[in-house]
Amino acid sequence: MKLDFSKYCIRRGRNVTTVLWIALLLSVSCARQVDTGEGPDVSSRGSFEVTARLDEIRGDLIDDPMYDYAHVMKYTVLQVHRGQVDQETLYVGHYNPAKPRSRAADARVQEIGGNVKQFRVGAVHRMALEVPIDDHYMGGIINKYFGKIEDPVYWAVWTNEVTE
Amino acid sequence: MNPKRLLWLMAAISTLPVCVAFAASGTQVAPLAQEVAQKGWIVYAARSAKNRTWDLFVMRPDGTHRRNITNTPDREEGGPRFSPDGKRLLYRNFPKGTVIHHDLWGFQGKLVIAAANGTNPTEIGGDREYPWASWSPDGKQIACLTKKGIQIVDLGTKKIVKQLPRKGIYQQLFWSPDGKWFCGVANARIMWTVVRMNAATGVLNIVHEFQSCTPDWLPDSKHIIYPSRPAGQKGSGFTQLWMSDGTGKEPRMIYGEDGSHIYGGALSPDSRYVLFTRCAKDGGGSERSGAPICLMRMADAPAIGGPSPALRKVHPNARNASVLPLVDGWEPHWTYAEIGVQE
Repeated sequence: MKLDFSKYCIRRGRNVTTVLWIALLLSVSCARQVDTGEGPDVSSRGSFEVTARLDEIRGDLIDDPMYDYAHVMKYTVLQVHRGQVDQETLYVGHYNPAKPRSRAADARVQEIGGNVKQFRVGAVHRMALEVPIDDHYMGGIINKYFGKIEDPVYWAVWTNEVTE
Repeated sequence: MNPKRLLWLMAAISTLPVCVAFAASGTQVAPLAQEVAQKGWIVYAARSAKNRTWDLFVMRPDGTHRRNITNTPDREEGGPRFSPDGKRLLYRNFPKGTVIHHDLWGFQGKLVIAAANGTNPTEIGGDREYPWASWSPDGKQIACLTKKGIQIVDLGTKKIVKQLPRKGIYQQLFWSPDGKWFCGVANARIMWTVVRMNAATGVLNIVHEFQSCTPDWLPDSKHIIYPSRPAGQKGSGFTQLWMSDGTGKEPRMIYGEDGSHIYGGALSPDSRYVLFTRCAKDGGGSERSGAPICLMRMADAPAIGGPSPALRKVHPNARNASVLPLVDGWEPHWTYAEIGVQE
């Protein structure tokens, strides 16, 4: 079999061009996926708005159709967008955290939501908050920090995912 | 012996304790029914056979003389409580088709006050107002549980005459018959904790922690009755009826039964008898059609129903009490007053 070197070079050149195009498209596409979590709800609801990293979820998230709870989670504040938040660490109660935020509201708690589908340690959330939790929510609270912290517990009104 | 026969014999022997228990129960309930027949009235919510909405009913404590006292095919009613003098009734009504949530019903619908026989119903406020209303000792005020706090409302003027921080109490608030205390369910060290609050000072103490709810007062204002689901049971376990004194001392089971959740605990005005509901599914049945309301002598406590081998191991001294099954319903309440219902 005789190798046609000129054709090989042309084909190889085309492949390199294709690879470059794909790399360019991917980088553009990745750049578009950066999401600050900003939105009309998170920016208008609650008295505070922060971007924070979820550092710790103590205990299991309970998914029991008979009972509804808020679960207190620990965050590190990365940026304050609205209201005065002085603490670096925030303790935030999320209602029915085993459910996606879009399906968390119910007869007891109606004015909550967001686009977070699942709570994972390390995730960054943009949240609209209220404080203290008892002024905005009346129901069971799983608070594994009870008696260990003096800080007030915030109430998550709206929780959006932040991706970079 | 033929193995088949042996198998039949073993099966027959294994059911013997259950048969004996139910037979004993059956023979003993007739005297119990006779004993309580003329002791006032029980009010409860149940689905009307006619229109399938939740209505309020009254009956004699032996289950006779049942009357539908609201009869509203276009509304639902629930959570009835006689006033301390037995002359009036407080309850909530809900739009037709509302699913009455076992934990939220005190927040749902409108508060209504009527005569004890259901006549002259008057709506007090609008939808979701006066949540978890319960009577003051003189029936002139109600205590309500809101996010802002525990509010004492004068029924004559509808004005809030006093407000206390709720200190984590989040549902099922009840004012003691002597007016000195509140009980409720709270987030204390953990959620689902039954607590007592001093009505004058707002000081709160834990009565019973861990999976306890729906507390109510014994007529002496010193003891509290509450359903509780102790740890250590197989799977999610079953809810039993318990009582403690107001400080949380001397907790003791009143009635339990493996396979049934016991809710709706309410005492007769002289504390000699106790009402409860027994439901195979958790929650007391408000989302469906209620559960059998049962009556038992307090002198028979602690008692265990059915075979309940696991529970009998935990409470070896518990009795096989006479338990009088009455009717399917939800949240019964008892008065010894004559309420003006025609027999």
